[in-house]
Amino acid sequence: MISVIDSIGLSVIKTVIMVRDFVVLTLRTLVYTFTPPFRVSDIFKQLYFVINESAPIVIFCVCSAAAVTIIESSFHMKIIIQNDALVPGFAALLILRELGAVVSALLVTSRVGAGIAAEVGTMQITEQIDALKMLGINPIRFLVVPRLIASVIGGVVLSILANLVCLYVAMLVSQYKLGHSAGSFIVAMRAFVSMQDLYFAAIKGACFGFVIPLVSCYFGFRCKAGAEGVGLATTNSVVTISISIITIDFILSWIFSYFY
Amino acid sequence: MLNKMVGIIDDIGGVTLFMKEVFRTGIKTPCTFSEIMDQTWKVTIQSLSTTAMAGFFVGAIMTVQFTLQVSQFGALGYLGGLATSGTIREVGPLLIAFMLSGKVGAFTSAELGTMRVTEQIDAIKCLGANPIQEIILPRFVGIILSSFFLLTIGLFMSIWGGLLMGIVFSGISIEEYVRHIPNIVSPVSIVTGLFKCFVFAFVLASICTYKGYNATGGAKGVGKAVVDTAVFTMIGIVIADWVTSAIGESVMELFLK
Repeated sequence: MISVIDSIGLSVIKTVIMVRDFVVLTLRTLVYTFTPPFRVSDIFKQLYFVINESAPIVIFCVCSAAAVTIIESSFHMKIIIQNDALVPGFAALLILRELGAVVSALLVTSRVGAGIAAEVGTMQITEQIDALKMLGINPIRFLVVPRLIASVIGGVVLSILANLVCLYVAMLVSQYKLGHSAGSFIVAMRAFVSMQDLYFAAIKGACFGFVIPLVSCYFGFRCKAGAEGVGLATTNSVVTISISIITIDFILSWIFSYFY
Repeated sequence: MLNKMVGIIDDIGGVTLFMKEVFRTGIKTPCTFSEIMDQTWKVTIQSLSTTAMAGFFVGAIMTVQFTLQVSQFGALGYLGGLATSGTIREVGPLLIAFMLSGKVGAFTSAELGTMRVTEQIDAIKCLGANPIQEIILPRFVGIILSSFFLLTIGLFMSIWGGLLMGIVFSGISIEEYVRHIPNIVSPVSIVTGLFKCFVFAFVLASICTYKGYNATGGAKGVGKAVVDTAVFTMIGIVIADWVTSAIGESVMELFLK
């Protein structure tokens, strides 16, 4: 009995310490983000890594997702209202409000989030971060801040890009598969969605982009020695980010639903 | 660009050859049943809470979005059926498989990669055992089996999440939510969802064991293997999703005509 209480207490203490460390890291990063010196060239390097190198994967996956969405919405519409004239509207709505932002964020998580965790974790266990400290360079300012800025900008850009590509492919698929012309697609789309939805998708992208580098750097800094440590840090960060993305998406969807 | 293309083709070929090796080992010298059960149990328990939570939120999100769409037509009665069908057929398997690729895939490739770079796999070879039979095969089968369980649990949780949000957010009663589920969710949909689960699990298991088994170069190599696994499984799952949807569509047409 006592050992059970013991283990529960231990896990609570561990969780509290983890949350505290994470909050401290977040606050420090935010303070350093808005105080000079700014590392502009580092930010551009990270922007290249986040946006340019992720864009092909995001575009490719989103194309497949768009095709699947159109096919599935048409399946459901045929069951309920016996025709699929409104499919473009529904598909556009699903794409803009959920799919575009979430799928691109999950893909960025697997690439950028895992990449940052592996990179920072390797630096931690090969004592490069201690070397930075010895040289008088603040590792948070040097490592976390450029990644955070790049990732927030990248989240917005990739979310908008993914949404537009997704809508375009959905239009193509509905033209060749379901026989809606591009004009009727756009008319049906305009009846359901407005520019506001794209802004909301961009806000979602920014929020997801904010979470990714902070969690990965947090797990990277805590990385334990050895090959196993790096693998564990990467796995943990991917899982934590994915769960937080889905949770944040749920909260944001709920909040945004009061503005429609 | 060209180098990347060649690298991708190289990886596809590598996975195919690796799968050939695994299948041949599985037929000729299968591993013991208890080893498979061991791995299945380990993987399932490890990822149970993550998958359940992800599934719950996915169902909740689907219901919130469908409420906004459907209420424009005054067809809130269909909400339960629509959200459940959409979750089971499409969104559930996809998002939960994403979750699994982060959790199970990354963990397995990290574990195998660590074994590779610390020369444990070479040690197994030195002892005269076949590493594919001893460590890859149980994990491969275990991941497929446990993905099946996990996806089923995730789908159940997503239905519960949808039901809860239907009551809290859209303000309809349980009876109203449940009433249209049997009309819209046909057995074909459930079979489609399960088939998708199987395909995703197969993609996940083959990529993560391959990437982990072939990791090179110390701690950095393990990190790279995990990152590659996460990226490749997600791309593989999206492609598999598209292919299975297309196949399902053509099979449906075949039966309807």
